[in-house]
Amino acid sequence: MNRNTSLGGLLRRPEAGACLGLVAVLVFFGIFGGLTFLQPAGMASWMNVAANLGVIAIPVGLLMIAGELDISVGAMVPFGAMTVAVISGHFGLSIWLGIAVTLAFGVMVGLLNGYLVIRTAVPSLIVTLGSLFAVQGVVLGLTVMITKSTSVALKVQGPAKAIFGDFVFSGQMQVMVLWWLLIAAAYVYFVHFSRFGNWIFAMGGDKVSARNAGIPTERMTILLFVFSSTSAAFVGMCQAILYNSAQVAGGQSFIFNAIISVVVGGVLLTGGFGSIIGIFFGTITFAIVNQGIYYTNFDRNWSSLIIGVLLLCAVLMNNTFRKMALSYAPKKGAK
Amino acid sequence: MGQETGRTILSLQGINKSFGPIDVLHDISLEVKAGEVLCLLGDNGAGKSTVIRLLSGVHQPTSGQMVMDGKPVLFRNPREAADHGIATVHQFGGTFPLMSIGRSFFVGREPTRWFGPLKLYDRKKANEIAVKAVQNFGITRIDDGDRLVGGLSGGERQALAIARAVHFGARVLILDEPTAALGVKQATHVLRIVNEAKKRGLAVIFITHQVMHAMAVGDHFAVLIRGAVAADFRKGERTREQITDLMAGGETMADLEAQIETYMDSHDGHPPQAVSA
Amino acid sequence: MKLMTTLIKATAAMALMATAASAANIAVIGGSNDDAFWNKIKKGLDDATPGVVANGGSVNYLRLQNYDNFAPDVVQLIRTAISQKVDGLVIPDWVPEAEDPAIKDALAAGITVILMNAGGADKAHELGAINYVGNEEYPAGVAGGEYFAKHGQKHVLCVNTLPGAANTEARCKGVLDAMTKAGFNSEELPLPTTSFGDPTAVAEAIKATLIKDGTIDGVITISAGDADAAATGIQQGDKVKTVALASFDMNEAGLARIKDGTQSFSIDQQPYLQGYLSVALLASAIDFGTSLPTFPVLTGPGIVDSANIDATLAGVKKGAR
Repeated sequence: MNRNTSLGGLLRRPEAGACLGLVAVLVFFGIFGGLTFLQPAGMASWMNVAANLGVIAIPVGLLMIAGELDISVGAMVPFGAMTVAVISGHFGLSIWLGIAVTLAFGVMVGLLNGYLVIRTAVPSLIVTLGSLFAVQGVVLGLTVMITKSTSVALKVQGPAKAIFGDFVFSGQMQVMVLWWLLIAAAYVYFVHFSRFGNWIFAMGGDKVSARNAGIPTERMTILLFVFSSTSAAFVGMCQAILYNSAQVAGGQSFIFNAIISVVVGGVLLTGGFGSIIGIFFGTITFAIVNQGIYYTNFDRNWSSLIIGVLLLCAVLMNNTFRKMALSYAPKKGAK
Repeated sequence: MGQETGRTILSLQGINKSFGPIDVLHDISLEVKAGEVLCLLGDNGAGKSTVIRLLSGVHQPTSGQMVMDGKPVLFRNPREAADHGIATVHQFGGTFPLMSIGRSFFVGREPTRWFGPLKLYDRKKANEIAVKAVQNFGITRIDDGDRLVGGLSGGERQALAIARAVHFGARVLILDEPTAALGVKQATHVLRIVNEAKKRGLAVIFITHQVMHAMAVGDHFAVLIRGAVAADFRKGERTREQITDLMAGGETMADLEAQIETYMDSHDGHPPQAVSA
Repeated sequence: MKLMTTLIKATAAMALMATAASAANIAVIGGSNDDAFWNKIKKGLDDATPGVVANGGSVNYLRLQNYDNFAPDVVQLIRTAISQKVDGLVIPDWVPEAEDPAIKDALAAGITVILMNAGGADKAHELGAINYVGNEEYPAGVAGGEYFAKHGQKHVLCVNTLPGAANTEARCKGVLDAMTKAGFNSEELPLPTTSFGDPTAVAEAIKATLIKDGTIDGVITISAGDADAAATGIQQGDKVKTVALASFDMNEAGLARIKDGTQSFSIDQQPYLQGYLSVALLASAIDFGTSLPTFPVLTGPGIVDSANIDATLAGVKKGAR
């Protein structure tokens, strides 16, 4: 199998484009941002952003590989933050209860999303658009009804703070970075080394054929929706614990940021193709592009333009690599 | 499998199918035998696809009976048909273009191995088996199970799908227009594979509207016209022209050809010029 | 149940109006019950009501049930006030295009009008309202800049998570102008939309900017929620001792930081005063013919810092802050 270590073999992997894109933005900001950008404090800056985004981007990417989309994550982030803040902040109950209820709600919304998608013929974009607004409404309505405010404070101490919302490694890196690495490793096993991953790719390639091949597509779809909404609630919860406060608004940027990271990471928008490592690199690329600008001397008013152009380049690079992957065949003596 | 050859595996007996008020199939009776190719011919809209959908469990007959190995069967969904050993391969192979050959081959039936406490997908084994299975059908050009299915030619994708069906124990192989989208060379490839499947004792149902392709591999032919079996005959009982006429729905094509022939006879073998009669 | 109590209150108010024809009957139009901000305004007008009632008048709060059909609902409430033949009307001019014709009708019917919370001084002049009681963004920014300048900050960063929006730009411009006038340095940090609502992205952007430019010694955010993120960014940049944090608007977490000394101040528009002052001014104008030379009456910026944090927290408990 030495073929896989050859250049051609590497280039046809779904994460090849994402990896080169990452190197490109690192070089770009290394030149314009200087050394501070690559030193621990600078690195923590984009790793923290990447970690919060990445925990959500991976399950969102999995859904995209399976041919579905979940945009309700944008509401699940403030939902998760507010749930834990109301339970453990406003009512002053145990933080562990707050965490348990938050994650349970995350699972429930995921079940509901998944069930609606498989039971109705409505595209998941529309279903989750509905749940996006519905959950936003629930967060705003319930929070204001219970607390008479749109912002709730939360003070967490002890092990819960250390596990979910603190800094590690000389106080720069959010503990979320560790969660992200752990979760990403679990997903790599799930998608690329267990048989379930094969099912997800098959579902995204052709759902009917996948079902005919005996894959429990409906159960898998629900499971993936549970992953994404629970992950989003988890991120929101950790943010509330870290920042000692939860807001009703916010979180919507996670929708597009996650989708962008996933696409930059080499996942095909139409499903059936991609990799966890690719999404991982794509998320870091996005975070670097998003945060790197603060280490440069560019006028901040141009940051959106720079973000847009760099991301477009990354996606174009991916397309090129996917074409290469499809047309690639071993050159030696084809008979 | 060889001893099965010639035995009827699956038969349709007086099948009717209607969707609401529209009758799509009337009184269809067909049978397929092990080691034989049944060619299902017909123009677009003649009801070929509906027959396939009944056989593969997508639809159920309104009346009439399907019999398999002498016992009546009812396929309530594609899964049940598959469990009875009926495999359908569609025009584009029904495979997953962006998956590797090995992964695509084993979708839903992945081989696994243990790595410590973790159960892993056995990529090496999957690739080996898949490549070997395809090569057994004469496609020796495929030798790397990591290649993406989308990078294969149309004929190779058909071969992969057929090899997959055979590997997982299909007894009835339904090929839905496998040569329609292919060039001459690729189509020849596929026909050779059909013959190979036949040799292994599978009952093959070959759907096409290309008479030449049908005649190249068929043992038994059925022509569908407007949802009914218009003709049912064995190899050598009809000529190509007769079959073409049947498919066109009447004598029009023969009339036309006859006219052209008489014209050519009386004009020293020149075909008619584009002039008004 | 809610509807019943509203009905009873409304009939009671009308009965009051019928009996006290000579004194000021005032209608106040405002936001819904579950809007925390409007509850503070309501607390203010409730506290002003006894004074009006003592002189034989009444105050009737006509609230929007919800914001689903905003402009038509507001106009309908103005029409209701006109039909009740009130003497005075306190009205936020949220949607001038829709509301102005109705407000003009009210003025034509001899009703004295005060604009409150939304509309501004120019609008009040244009319509012929006797005053505008509320907040203006630019002066609020100026107050923030002046506070920084007075407390020794020489280089202030105004973090704008919604660049391009008129109100947030006015806030930052106020800060910048005040700092410049005092001879100090300041700049705006506009964050791209990809960072909006992600506290980590906001915190890291602030941290990076602070690390890059060591002379920055003050940070002000355009919302209270952003200040939560900014606090972490400052702490991560190891700048707690050198950088003073401030925010427009305030929330519980921000007040806690002011209390424990990790935040310098918050700029509040003091909604309580909007309710209290508009009702008091209007009643006294109708009953006694007073006129206030101060125009407009700005209820903000109110600075909350270590000097008044305890009183502010007491106000929060009572629903006035």
